[in-house]
Amino acid sequence: MTEPAQLLPGTLDLLVLKAASLGPLHGYGILLRIEQITRGALLAEQGALYPALSRLEHQGLLDSEWGTSDNHRRAKFYRLTTTGRRRLREETQSWNRLVTAIALALSATTPES
Amino acid sequence: MFPRLRSLWHNLRHRSQSERELDDEMRFHLETRIDDLVRSGLSLAEARRRAHIEFGSTEAYQVKVRESRRLTWLEDFVQDVRYGLRTLQTAPGFAAVAILTLAIGIGANTTIFSWIRAVLLNPLPGAGHPERVVALESLTPSNDWVPTSYLDFRDFRQYLRSLESLSVAYPMSVAVGDDRNTERMRAELVSANYFDLLEVRPELGRFFTGPERDEAQNAHPVVVISHSLWASHYHSDPAAIGASVRINRHLYTIIGVAPERFNGSMPGLAFQMWALATMHGQLHAMGDWMLQDRKTRMFRVLARLAPGVTIEQARGEVHAFGRRMAEANADTSQGMSATILPMWKSHYGIQESLLAPLSILMGASGVLLLIVCANVTNLLLARATSRQKEFSVRLALGAPRSRLIRQLLTESLLLSLCGLLGGLAIAHQLTGALQLLFPPETRPNLIRPPVDFGVFLFTLALTLGVALLAGMAPAFHAAAGNVNETLKEGGRSASTSRGSQRLRGLLVASEMALAVIALIGAGLFVKSFHTARAMQPGFDAHQVAMARFSMPSAGYDREQADSFCRRLREQLEHEPGVTSVSYSDYVPLSLGTGSWEDLQIEGYVPGPSENMKLYRSLVAPRYFESLKIPLLQGRDFTLQDDPAHLPVMVVNQEFVRRFLRTQYPIGVKVQGWGRWFTIVGVAQDTKIYRLTENATPYFYVPIRQIHRPEFPFTFFVRTTGSVTDAIAALQRDSRAVDPASPAFDATSLEDFIAQSLFTNKIAADLLSVLAGTAILLAAIGLYSVMAYTVARRTNEIGIRVALGARPADVLAMVIRQGLVFGLAGLLLGSLGAAALARVLSSSLVAVSPVDPLVYSAAALLAVAIVLAATAIPAHRAMRVDPMVALRYE
Repeated sequence: MTEPAQLLPGTLDLLVLKAASLGPLHGYGILLRIEQITRGALLAEQGALYPALSRLEHQGLLDSEWGTSDNHRRAKFYRLTTTGRRRLREETQSWNRLVTAIALALSATTPES
Repeated sequence: MFPRLRSLWHNLRHRSQSERELDDEMRFHLETRIDDLVRSGLSLAEARRRAHIEFGSTEAYQVKVRESRRLTWLEDFVQDVRYGLRTLQTAPGFAAVAILTLAIGIGANTTIFSWIRAVLLNPLPGAGHPERVVALESLTPSNDWVPTSYLDFRDFRQYLRSLESLSVAYPMSVAVGDDRNTERMRAELVSANYFDLLEVRPELGRFFTGPERDEAQNAHPVVVISHSLWASHYHSDPAAIGASVRINRHLYTIIGVAPERFNGSMPGLAFQMWALATMHGQLHAMGDWMLQDRKTRMFRVLARLAPGVTIEQARGEVHAFGRRMAEANADTSQGMSATILPMWKSHYGIQESLLAPLSILMGASGVLLLIVCANVTNLLLARATSRQKEFSVRLALGAPRSRLIRQLLTESLLLSLCGLLGGLAIAHQLTGALQLLFPPETRPNLIRPPVDFGVFLFTLALTLGVALLAGMAPAFHAAAGNVNETLKEGGRSASTSRGSQRLRGLLVASEMALAVIALIGAGLFVKSFHTARAMQPGFDAHQVAMARFSMPSAGYDREQADSFCRRLREQLEHEPGVTSVSYSDYVPLSLGTGSWEDLQIEGYVPGPSENMKLYRSLVAPRYFESLKIPLLQGRDFTLQDDPAHLPVMVVNQEFVRRFLRTQYPIGVKVQGWGRWFTIVGVAQDTKIYRLTENATPYFYVPIRQIHRPEFPFTFFVRTTGSVTDAIAALQRDSRAVDPASPAFDATSLEDFIAQSLFTNKIAADLLSVLAGTAILLAAIGLYSVMAYTVARRTNEIGIRVALGARPADVLAMVIRQGLVFGLAGLLLGSLGAAALARVLSSSLVAVSPVDPLVYSAAALLAVAIVLAATAIPAHRAMRVDPMVALRYE
């Protein structure tokens, strides 16, 4: 198995939104979900998740609530808001565009005269 | 924005709680992680170590969380501003044109708003609760506004309940100083409670108090001076209180100084001193009868509404009471009434004459501002189009569209704020120009409207509006770009942006339309002015010099005034070239209205509500000869028509036509001033107040049979020589006869009556300037669009030329496009102007709001401007070299 790929800068927010869109999760759960959906792409440090969560909550994209986890501990659960859902859609589109554009750029053989 | 604010609020209020929660959250993470690692087979100590390493420093992340909770939009904004400033620096030409354009538009609007504020919106600076201060005005039977007599005022003051307090206010020009060194100043004669009514506190000393509040005439020679007079003549020395000052030859004691902001009770005007109205007889050197005559209506009346009373309620009471008074005093006031008006609608003050021109100017400068907005929008659009690629990259990198819109709006805001600074500088230079709205001879002591905080707020609001209006379309347009298309097509994409081209065409066409409206408006006023000036007044103003005198302020009584006039006339008649000398109390075509008298005509029975208050002039012998007004029947007045002989009268043709249809006019008796006059002559009709008026009945009586020394009078000198010499002679001779009664307003009659058209002239002048600016800005707008189009189409033009298009074809193509914009604007503008001009028709004299000459001249000018603005880009297009052009991209 190769080294797990590092996340591209700026993509963490998108991944958090994506993870939270699949159902309410606490921070650690989001981390696991990201690992799962990216098949192992890792954060350099897991703590980096918390500024991202706080930022997204601050922007009104996530909502939070204290609840009880599977292991019967008190945990903070995050849920995607309507704005968050819309943002996720937009970001996904713009991500796809970027990918297309870069793929196009890389596939160009000779430069235009 | 709301959730963020809520979250910020939450964090501020529950700072320690949210910190605790974060601790809990991170602890939960670590504990769960440790559990998982233990379950996967690590020892507890090893699991703990691994979990902490994987997590990183909890401290550091707590700091980062705290940072992320700050108001990010503020940071975004600062970033936008920085970025915006950098972008503007890279395009200094664009920035300069945009800022200059904005500064012109904002400056013009700020200036005119500061005038409107000083004259209409804030009529009583320095007064407390000015919105409760109103003007009480008497109404004649024909509902004309007239001032109020002192006796009426006392009745109003005693009986009206809806008014808390009332004061008279009578503006007069006084001579201050001794015979050798006299200065003319503006004083206001007021009731003792005037300052209390206006809620003004003295800067120094006191205002009128206790004993001065009685009604004893000429008993209290005390005066309050203005702050500026105190500064200029007393060096702001407190010892000025108690000093004596000679006013119209009488000694007065200074008792107080008014605060700096207070200028008196006439909006826009500055008074230098205030004396008691009960001193009126002494200051006019005519005893006390004027304050005891109900027919001598000469006072403005100010009032403060009683608490809780609305202006409508007060108006109702005043109206009803005025009617009752008119019945009680039927001999003097039959049919009269009174009303209450807010200060800005009061008829005595400059606001009356400024209301119409200021509204028109505000409208015109609004049009100018719209053109400015369109122009800046255009410039921004052009820039946005060439920056399309930059925007696409930012979008592709994940910038939300809203962020991009905000960025562009920030840029337009930056431009507008620079424009605001320029505009304020321009306005600061221009506010003093309010003076220009008045004829030089009658120019009152105008206050210079300050560019203060209120004006600044207006300008700021205006600027924000402009920034939004001008920045909105470009911002949304830029953000709506299709990233894929743009990036795929490389640099060429921008030329395909059809929507942007259409929008810019539309903007240019509307700019032209607005400029055409401004042009036509200015054209109508210019034509109106010239037409009115060419009208015949019915008398001959050529070769006539005139000068005005105001005896009372020099402290003359009636005999002295009479002897002054006789001696001056004799002196003048001996001047070379002088053919005839006369004087009168009224100059034809003066601004403002003259005096009227209630007449009763022998053999004429007036209709039940017919207004028999007719306007008149008091004239000396040879008046008709001096002004070349033909006498159609009878004789002129002679020196024998004095108080000792039978009263006589000359009437005009319209008077005869209206009242003496069935009689031979000469010898008919007419009653006025309580005496019977005999008609001895009929004079041709002349224009009396305005060149544009219809013929009105008018009459003349000998000035020596009626004259009171408080009436100012005017000398007329007809000469066969130069008018300038005659003016000089008037000044020289009057000084020789009495050094203490100088002639003022010595000028030629022709110049003087040009003032009757002054408002028209100034409207024409100022509107021409605004319209010129408007069309210039529109031309710049058109030029920028055409130049941009040509640059964008270089490639296409190259192909056309390569395919055989001749330079003339290319030229025609570009000019045709320019003309399409221009003509569309012209059509829209003409329609708009025709609709608007109907609103202006009341201010237009002798010209139709759809005058064909004005419209075609405006159209010609507009087309010429369009051609000029298109010429340079067209020329550039014509010289496109196909080889270069095709290699261009």
